[in-house]
Amino acid sequence: MSGEEEENAAELKIGDEFLKAKCLMNCEVSLILDHKLEQLQAMSDDPSNQVSQVFEKSLQYVKRFSRYKNPDAVRQVRELLSRHQLAEFELCVLGNLCPETVEEAIAMVPSIKSRGRGHDDEAIEKMLNDMSLIKKFE
Amino acid sequence: MFFHIVLERNMQLHPRHFGRELREKLVSKLMKDVEGTCSGRHGFVVAITGIEDIGKGIIRDGTGFVTFPVKYLCVVFRPFKGEILEATVTMVNKMGFFAEAGPVQIFVSNHVKIQKDSEVRLKIIGTRVNATEIFCIGTIKDDFLGVISDPAGS
Repeated sequence: MSGEEEENAAELKIGDEFLKAKCLMNCEVSLILDHKLEQLQAMSDDPSNQVSQVFEKSLQYVKRFSRYKNPDAVRQVRELLSRHQLAEFELCVLGNLCPETVEEAIAMVPSIKSRGRGHDDEAIEKMLNDMSLIKKFE
Repeated sequence: MFFHIVLERNMQLHPRHFGRELREKLVSKLMKDVEGTCSGRHGFVVAITGIEDIGKGIIRDGTGFVTFPVKYLCVVFRPFKGEILEATVTMVNKMGFFAEAGPVQIFVSNHVKIQKDSEVRLKIIGTRVNATEIFCIGTIKDDFLGVISDPAGS
């Protein structure tokens, strides 16, 4: 349990296993789960008793809290964010919450400032602007 | 946060399933066994999205059952302490309110007038893990946290 004690997402302490793993933004999860649901529906007449409660709740959640709906926009956002030397986890927090100001972005992802990757306010602001542009032209 | 990760599980299969459809049987049993479950380490298994590898089976002494090590790709939801996320308020009581973010329940104490079905942005400050469930404690008292939209206002 000692690993549990030190866990802190604000400092990017989420365990090696998850740090290296691929994170998913809500909008990406929505695409994956929709696809899976379609497959299940194609295979059987009554898909409702096949999906778990966890699946159902997750799908509802990601539908409600997806910033980007269009698959192309989802891809663009990931591409854009991955150009900024962010950890997977940081990338997805930004993609999910879409902060509007630099101050907000730093409050949401405190680790962005602490790792010395040359993220000055200007670079962050540019990134946020680009994100909102994708949203606007979705 | 949702993750796409590879997990491994040893699957036991009854000899009556051995034949052409062995792989299908193994995969459908895997889905039934692990989708919707929760472990403290990996969080909630939301959906299996692919099979990476099925290893060589080993016959178990005495029973005839065969154990296959199966590696599979899946979507999991794992909340972390310090993580900021959005959630829906599901219940309000005197002590605070409960919110839901996908499969996980988050309790936030000591609120100021919040309505059921509101959307809030909160920070997870603690997690409690047991064998089959993860429960979180959150707060909305920090910069840029709080109600995003409430049902009456929209």
